[in-house]
Amino acid sequence: MSGLISSNAFWTIWLFVHLILALGLLGALTHQAMAVALPARKATGGIITRYRAVPAAGYATAVCVLWVLTFLVGSFIYTSYRINIRIPLEQEHYFKTGGFFDFKEHVATLGLVLLPAYWFFWKNAENPEYDNARKGVTLVLAVMCWFLFIVGHVLNNTRGFGS
Amino acid sequence: MSTASTAGSPTTAAPISAAGSSLAAARKFKAFATTFSISGPVVYCLTVYMNWPVFTFWPANDHFDWGMVTKGQGPNMLWYGWTLTAILISAGLGIIAMLLPERVIRKIPLALVWIFPILAIPFVVYSLMFWWRLAFKQ
Repeated sequence: MSGLISSNAFWTIWLFVHLILALGLLGALTHQAMAVALPARKATGGIITRYRAVPAAGYATAVCVLWVLTFLVGSFIYTSYRINIRIPLEQEHYFKTGGFFDFKEHVATLGLVLLPAYWFFWKNAENPEYDNARKGVTLVLAVMCWFLFIVGHVLNNTRGFGS
Repeated sequence: MSTASTAGSPTTAAPISAAGSSLAAARKFKAFATTFSISGPVVYCLTVYMNWPVFTFWPANDHFDWGMVTKGQGPNMLWYGWTLTAILISAGLGIIAMLLPERVIRKIPLALVWIFPILAIPFVVYSLMFWWRLAFKQ
């Protein structure tokens, strides 16, 4: 990228893209998790009721696409993290931060491998045989997504944008 | 993908989309998807424990080596290789499951799809013990 933008700007743009994708994923999965955990029969009443009454099945493909895209962009940024972020973190003795980032990478992969079954269960949402499995996998993915988002956010605050 | 009916949603009164998708309706895809997702967390933990990356990546010089390599320029990265190993093995198991009769596939408890990733978390935390030891030594 030499000549066009600085290395710092290059990685900051990709980190920003990662953030935007993660935000979309977080919103979609949280909607779905609310819809399966506290289903609302009618989209009437307050904002919370309307939030729970979203057409949850319609989010399944978007969640899969967003998880894969966020994963790929995160994997790309990870190369820079390993050199430019992790080494300084270790030198400054931010071991818990480094540990939680490694924890995050494992959780991201564990979530990735759940996507085929998750998609299948949601695309067959009219089949009661899959109700419990769909609910379980959706809630697990939503918790994972929140964990990934919070760890990523804290790590960015430690040594992220502009560092 | 076809448009699905809005009737009979088990979780919300809102419309369900694409239930009639041919891929989603395929019996073999069910066998592949559930087997892939059930075996995925187990295979991933096993891959990390046994240290079986398909490749090792060296970010300092953008260099790849097949398998597990510890000597090179700068720090190595194994996570990409572990992830690919887990995906390949799980996909292989999924393809094998597609060849099995329906009655065998129906016996697989679907709850394992969400139980195994939860059970994987304590192992993942344990696998990062070197970080926690360093953190608590301070």
